[in-house]
Amino acid sequence: MIEVRGLTRRYGDVLAVDDLSFTVEPGKVTGFLGPNGAGKSTTMRVVLGLDRATSGTALVNGRPYASFGEPLREVGALLDPGAAHPGRTGRSHLRVAARANGIPRRRVDEVIERVGLGRAASRRIKGYSLGMRQRLGIATALIGDPGVLMFDEPINGLDLDGVRWIRGLLRQLADEGRTVLISSHLLGEMEQIADRLVVIGRGRLIADATTEQIVSGLGQVRVRVRSPRPDVLRARLRERGFEVERVDDHELRVEGSTAEEVGGLAHALDVPLHHLSEVRQSLEDAYVELTTGSVEYQGREPVLTAEEAR
Amino acid sequence: MRAVTRDVPVVRVFARACAAEWTRLWTVKATWWFLAAATVTMVGIATIAGLEAAADPDPPRGRSAWAAAAVTGLPGQFALLALALTAVTSDYATGGIVPSLQWTPRRAVLFLSRTAVVVVVATVLGVLLASAATVASFVTAQPLLTLAGASDVLPDVAFVFAAGSAFALGLGFLLRNTAATLVTVFLLMLVLPLMLPNFGHEWLSWVADRLPGSGAAFLLIGEVPGMSRTSSVVTLLCWAAATLLLGWLRLSRDDANR
Repeated sequence: MIEVRGLTRRYGDVLAVDDLSFTVEPGKVTGFLGPNGAGKSTTMRVVLGLDRATSGTALVNGRPYASFGEPLREVGALLDPGAAHPGRTGRSHLRVAARANGIPRRRVDEVIERVGLGRAASRRIKGYSLGMRQRLGIATALIGDPGVLMFDEPINGLDLDGVRWIRGLLRQLADEGRTVLISSHLLGEMEQIADRLVVIGRGRLIADATTEQIVSGLGQVRVRVRSPRPDVLRARLRERGFEVERVDDHELRVEGSTAEEVGGLAHALDVPLHHLSEVRQSLEDAYVELTTGSVEYQGREPVLTAEEAR
Repeated sequence: MRAVTRDVPVVRVFARACAAEWTRLWTVKATWWFLAAATVTMVGIATIAGLEAAADPDPPRGRSAWAAAAVTGLPGQFALLALALTAVTSDYATGGIVPSLQWTPRRAVLFLSRTAVVVVVATVLGVLLASAATVASFVTAQPLLTLAGASDVLPDVAFVFAAGSAFALGLGFLLRNTAATLVTVFLLMLVLPLMLPNFGHEWLSWVADRLPGSGAAFLLIGEVPGMSRTSSVVTLLCWAAATLLLGWLRLSRDDANR
């Protein structure tokens, strides 16, 4: 479990992380979302004890990361796949990690196999593609069989097979009861992978809820309706207080209504319908809505908390 | 996956960190290149000196071949100082300090293990190469030189390599940049101690006598005006202790690599 409480990190005049609190629970894939510069990487670095917090705490399994004698058995983290000595082979890189944490040498070959690095493990890291560096970083994260995993943009640089592989891997890790936190700017990917989302903007918490709640709980439900007589329908919908937008000669978009309501009304009015559907807000829309708001947002409270979303 | 956190004695954490540092040091080519450079410099110079002595029409007889250990140590030390400082600065240049601190998050443990491993390696290599240089000059100059007098020379050689590598490593932790650290080491160990006394100002000579290079030169070849054995040892120790302390303060207080 990862617990971040009142975390603030200031670089000179810049407030990178501002009184951020959230909890990442085991058994779920938690997505860490936010625009560039939102403070995601800084938060992850503070959790790992790499950067100092100006105030607040970040605990892993109830303890500061720097207090672990065998940290790789507690937390596996991949922050920057490029952060490795290019002159060392992948296998040597993993051997250093294993020796520092008292992990048996056979684990090195096991994780090389698990991430599919194969014979590339004997080559120097400078010859690796970004995808291979990602796999090496993930191998390092897995080497201690830790209960907590943190990946910063793990999908970057992976090909389609790699993306499918990591999606399966993250799901498997969470299903095994591990705590999994991933940051990514690929929102569509997050929607497919993450059970929960922690959304931040300008260092502040914007939303902390399940992916489903964020997608359905934020934007209005919209109904798309096509009819040869849209004017009659529009007039009656407006009378009922719905916001109706005319898309073209035959199509309307109704905010905040449901397909049942619009369909029932059309039937009562004897208006024929050629199309009727509910448009679910994509995570991307919700995300843009959330993070755009954060730019002007001045208060201290998050826009949506888990409790509100429930 | 382990359910409960296991607390490991700090001695074992330190021993593991030392083992990791050992592997880290010997799994990059740079270490082997610096070792090769030191070997070529020290053994090469000793061999040439031995051959020249043998070819001398009025050869020096009965002198100790161990002089080669000290004399070749003066240029040879720079290869091992470079080895020591890049053991730290390459971690910052490549971003490797992030995984280093992830795997050994207790910064005191990382600092002490890296310092211990690098200083011991540089010192042992320095002593071994100085001995090899001695044997090379003894063999090539036969039968002019003797092998007596090791105990007069080797402790000084070991001390110069130990204090010098600790100084270079501490500076690496402080500056975090290979070029800046290398230039500073060369200035303080070689250039300034040689140049400053030549200007004729007394205070510049006073400054030169307090630089680490003057202490190293006196202990190795002894021809440094104004220096004594005690002042050389104290100067080298002070520089090594000061850069290690400042390097530790930077590592312990600052963010990993920002």
